Amino acid sequence: MENIKKKNTRLDRSFDKLRAREEAGLIKKSNMNRQLRKMLNNKLAVAGLIIFSIIVLASIFAPLICKYDPLMINLKEVLKAPSVDHILGTDRVGRDIFSRIVFGGRVSILVGLGSALGAALVGVSLGCYAGYKGGFIDGIFLRLSEIFMAFPQIILVLLLVSILGQSLMNLIVIFIITGWGPMYRMARAKMLSLREEEYVQALKSFGLNTFTICYKHILPNALGPIMVNITLSTAMFILQEAALSFLGLGVPLNIATWGNILNAAQELRILQENWWMWLPVGIVISLFVLSVNFIGDGLRDSTDPSQQG
Amino acid sequence: MKDDTIIEVKNLKTFFYTNQRCNKAINGVSFKIQKGKTLCIVGESGCGKSVTAASIMGLLPRLSRIEEGEINYYSKNHGHLRIDQLEQNGPTMRSIRGGEVAMIFQDPMTALNPVYTVGSQISENLKYHTKLKRDKIKLKTIDLLSNMGIPIPEQRAKEYPHQFSGGMRQRAMIGMAMSCNPQVLIADEPTTALDVTIQAQIFELMDTLKKDHDTAILLITHDMGVVTELADDVAVMYMGNIVESGTIVDVLRSPAHPYTKALLKSIPILGKGKSQELEPIKGSTPDPYDRPKGCQFHPRCEFTTDKCREVPVDEKISDTHSVMCWHYKEVLKNG
Amino acid sequence: MLSYAIRRMLILIPMLIVISFFIYSGLELMPGDAVSYMIDPEAAAELAPEKLDALRDSLGLNDPFILRYFKWFGGVLKGDFGYSLSSGVPIRDIVFDRLPATLELSFIALVLSTMFGSILGFISAIRKGSIADNTLTVVGMLGVSVPQFVFGLVAILIFALKLKWLPVGGRLMPEYITYWDRFPHIIMPALVLAATMTAGVMRYSRSSMLDSMNKEYIKTARSKGLPEWRVNLVHGFRVALTPVIVLVGFRLPTLIGGAVVIEQIFQWPGIGNEFITAVRGQNFPLVMMIALFSVFAVLIASFLVDLFTAILDPRVKLG
Repeated sequence: MENIKKKNTRLDRSFDKLRAREEAGLIKKSNMNRQLRKMLNNKLAVAGLIIFSIIVLASIFAPLICKYDPLMINLKEVLKAPSVDHILGTDRVGRDIFSRIVFGGRVSILVGLGSALGAALVGVSLGCYAGYKGGFIDGIFLRLSEIFMAFPQIILVLLLVSILGQSLMNLIVIFIITGWGPMYRMARAKMLSLREEEYVQALKSFGLNTFTICYKHILPNALGPIMVNITLSTAMFILQEAALSFLGLGVPLNIATWGNILNAAQELRILQENWWMWLPVGIVISLFVLSVNFIGDGLRDSTDPSQQG
Repeated sequence: MKDDTIIEVKNLKTFFYTNQRCNKAINGVSFKIQKGKTLCIVGESGCGKSVTAASIMGLLPRLSRIEEGEINYYSKNHGHLRIDQLEQNGPTMRSIRGGEVAMIFQDPMTALNPVYTVGSQISENLKYHTKLKRDKIKLKTIDLLSNMGIPIPEQRAKEYPHQFSGGMRQRAMIGMAMSCNPQVLIADEPTTALDVTIQAQIFELMDTLKKDHDTAILLITHDMGVVTELADDVAVMYMGNIVESGTIVDVLRSPAHPYTKALLKSIPILGKGKSQELEPIKGSTPDPYDRPKGCQFHPRCEFTTDKCREVPVDEKISDTHSVMCWHYKEVLKNG
Repeated sequence: MLSYAIRRMLILIPMLIVISFFIYSGLELMPGDAVSYMIDPEAAAELAPEKLDALRDSLGLNDPFILRYFKWFGGVLKGDFGYSLSSGVPIRDIVFDRLPATLELSFIALVLSTMFGSILGFISAIRKGSIADNTLTVVGMLGVSVPQFVFGLVAILIFALKLKWLPVGGRLMPEYITYWDRFPHIIMPALVLAATMTAGVMRYSRSSMLDSMNKEYIKTARSKGLPEWRVNLVHGFRVALTPVIVLVGFRLPTLIGGAVVIEQIFQWPGIGNEFITAVRGQNFPLVMMIALFSVFAVLIASFLVDLFTAILDPRVKLG
C-alpha cells in the first residue's frame, strides 16, 4: 500500500457532498418510526414483500385467474408444451399446469404458514412459561426439545407419517410436533434474559401472578425475534413439504401442492423432455421462499437494536 | 531552550460521516506532547478525546477522515513526519504504530484477543517491530511481564486473558504497548474499568515507565481525579475544541474557562466531608448534529453574553496557559 | 480437555437411552406381530402355530413392557436389530451394508460446505459492500431458498443428461477397481448436498466475521501496526470461526436429512435411500432402526464438533 494518502477517492467525494449539505443546513429530520424506516430502506425486504404478496394474492384469487379447473383431467391434451391456451402446458393426464400451480399454492402456503404459526404457538407458550418458572418443568421440556431436535427432521416426520398415515391435516400436525423445538429454545432464551430486568421485579412486587407477567408483560418484548423466527420457519416448512411431496410421502397426491406437481419429475424422461412440468413450479417455490427470507432478514435487521445505520 | 516536543498537533479537524450526516467531531484542535511528560486530555464522553487519539494513531474508522490540520511527529527512525498525510494502513504508519507510538485501551478484557495466549499477543508486537529471533522474543516477553509486576511470568505468558485478573490484564496490555520502547504512549481511559486500588498501582507503573524511558504520555480521561494524579500538562476538551490548556498548576490553580471551573467545582474532594457543596453543570451536552452557534458551551455558561455567539479565539494568558473564551479575564478574577 | 470430553459424553448417554425408549414404544405401537421381525422369518415360517406360541413366550413377548424394552435394548447393544419385514434380511446387515455410502457422502459434503462456507463468508465480510460481497449475498440467498432436490434435478439435467459429463446416479459398477473410477458418481450428489449447507454457513460466517471485526481486540491488533491481512485473518477470522463451527454442529441433523432426499434422486445406495423404501413399504422395524441410527450418528457427530470447538476456543473448556 502506498504511503501518501490518496486525495480524491470515491469515498472522499461522497464525504465532501455530505459535508456541503450539512453545512448548508439541508439535512431534515425524519419523523417516521425508526424501525419502519429501516425496513423500507432495505430494498430487498421490500422486494420480498412485493413478491410474497403477489404469490399469496394469486393463490387466494385462484378461481379468478385460472381458466381451467386444476383437477380436470383431459386425456386429449396430455403432455402439451406451453401454448396460448395452456400458459404452462399440461401434465400426464391433461391437467392445466398453471392452474395446478396457482391452486397448489393455496395448500403449500397453508401448510407452511400454518405449521409455522402452530409451532410458534406451542413453542413460544411453553418456552415463555418454562423459561420464566424454571425448575423441573423447564428441565423436562428442555430435554424433550433437545431430543426432538437431535432427529433429522425429515426422518422424524417420515417416522410419524408411517405411524399416522398420510393426510394434509396429519402433515401439519406432524410438522408442528417436529418443529416446536427451535421456537421453544428461542422463546426460553429470550425469557431468561428478560426475566432479570427490573420491571419484572416491580411487577412481581405488585403481586401480579405468573401468567399475567409472563404473557402480558414480558412476551411483547420478545416479539421481534419471534416474528423473525416465524418467517424463517415458514420458509423451512414449505421446503420440507415440497421435498416430502416430491417423494410422494407428503400431502396425498390427489391434492395439488407445489411438491406434488414436482413428483412427476422423478422420471428422467419427464425431466429431460417436459421442462414445463417441473421448472416453473421449482421457480415459484424458490421465489416464494426467497421472498420470505428477504422479509425475515429485513425484520431481523430492523428489530435488532445493536445495528447501526 | 531544548524543545522536547515529539508530537505537535496544529488545528486538527476530523469529521465523521456516519448515518449519512457530517459530524465535526474535532473542529480545530492544537497541542504539543513532550518527551518525559504527561499530557492529559480531559472532557466528558463524546467531546472528541478518543477521536484525537485515533487520529494520531491512524486508527480512524472507514466513515471518517482528517479534514484539515497537521499532526507533526518527530520519529527517531523516520525523522519529521506528517501523520495527517500518511496512508493509515501504509508501511510507514504501521511501522510507527506499536513500534514508536503505542496505545492502551480502556477495557483490557475486550481489548485482548480471547483465543490467544497473553504471551503470544505480546510477542506478536515484538515480531513485527524488531528483528529479534524467536527465542529472544520469548525471553523478552517474560521479562516484560515481570517488569510490569506480574508474578510467575513464565507461566502467565502461556495463559489466556480470561485467566488473568483485571489489574493484571491491564499490566499485560501496558507491557505489550511498552514492548518496543515507544517514544509515545497513548492511554485511553486506562483505569476506568478498574477498581480504585488497582488504579493507583497502574498510575504508579506508568509514572515509573515515564521516568525510566523518557516516554511521552498522552492520557485521555473524563476523571479530574486522574488528572490531578498524573498530569504535567492539561488540555480541557468540550464538543471538539480544546477550551483551555496549560500546565497542571495553571489549570488547577487558575482555571480560565467557565467549563474548567465548573468541572472542578463538580468533583467531590476527599476529606472535605459531606457538607461540601457540589455544583453539577447545568444543562447537558448538545446534540452534535444540532450545535449551538459560536462558543459550544455558552448555553450552559454563567458568564455568557451576546458576544458568545461568535466563536472565541485562542487567547494566551501566559507562555504555557491559553484559553478559548471571550470572558476569561472575568473567570480568572472570580477565581 | 479429557474432563470436558467426558462431561459431554455423560450428557449423551441418557439422551440415547431416552430416544431408544421412544423408538421402542413406536415399535410396540406398530400393527403386526412382533415375532415377524424378531426372529429369522424363514425359521418362523417352518414352525407350527403351537410352537410359535411357545416361541413368543420364550422371547418374552408376554412379559411386561419394561422388561421387553430392556431385552430389546440389550439386543441392540449386542448388534441384534431384528429383521426387515419385507425381505427378511437381518436389519444389521442392511444397515452396515449401506452405512458406508451415506457416511462417505455426508462427510464430504460436511467438509466442503464448512470450508467453502466459512471462507466465502470471510471474503464477503472483509469486502463488505463490494460487488463480490453483493454477489455472494445473492448467491447465498438463492442457496437457502431453492429446494435442495430442485438443485439436484437441475444438476442431473445439465450435467448428466444434456452434457453427459457425469453419470446419472448410482455409486458402483462391477468394473470399477480404483477409487478414481467411482469418483464421477459422487461429484454431483456431494456438491448438491453441500450447496444448501454452504449457503447457510456462508451467511452465518459473514455475520460472525462482521461481529468479530467490530470488537475491541481488532483495534488493539491494528494499534500494534500489524498488516491488515493479519488483523483480518489471525485476529478476526479465528475468533469468528468458533460460532460458525457451533452452527455447523446444529445443522448436522439437516445435513443428514438432506442426504435422505439426495440419495433418492441420485439413486445413491445409502441408508437414507433404504429409509425411504422402508417408509413406502410400511417396513416399521427397519424405519425405526434407521431412525435410531440417524440420531446416533447426529449425536456422535455433535460430540466431535463440541470437542473441536473446545480446541478452537479456550474459553469453552473451562466454562
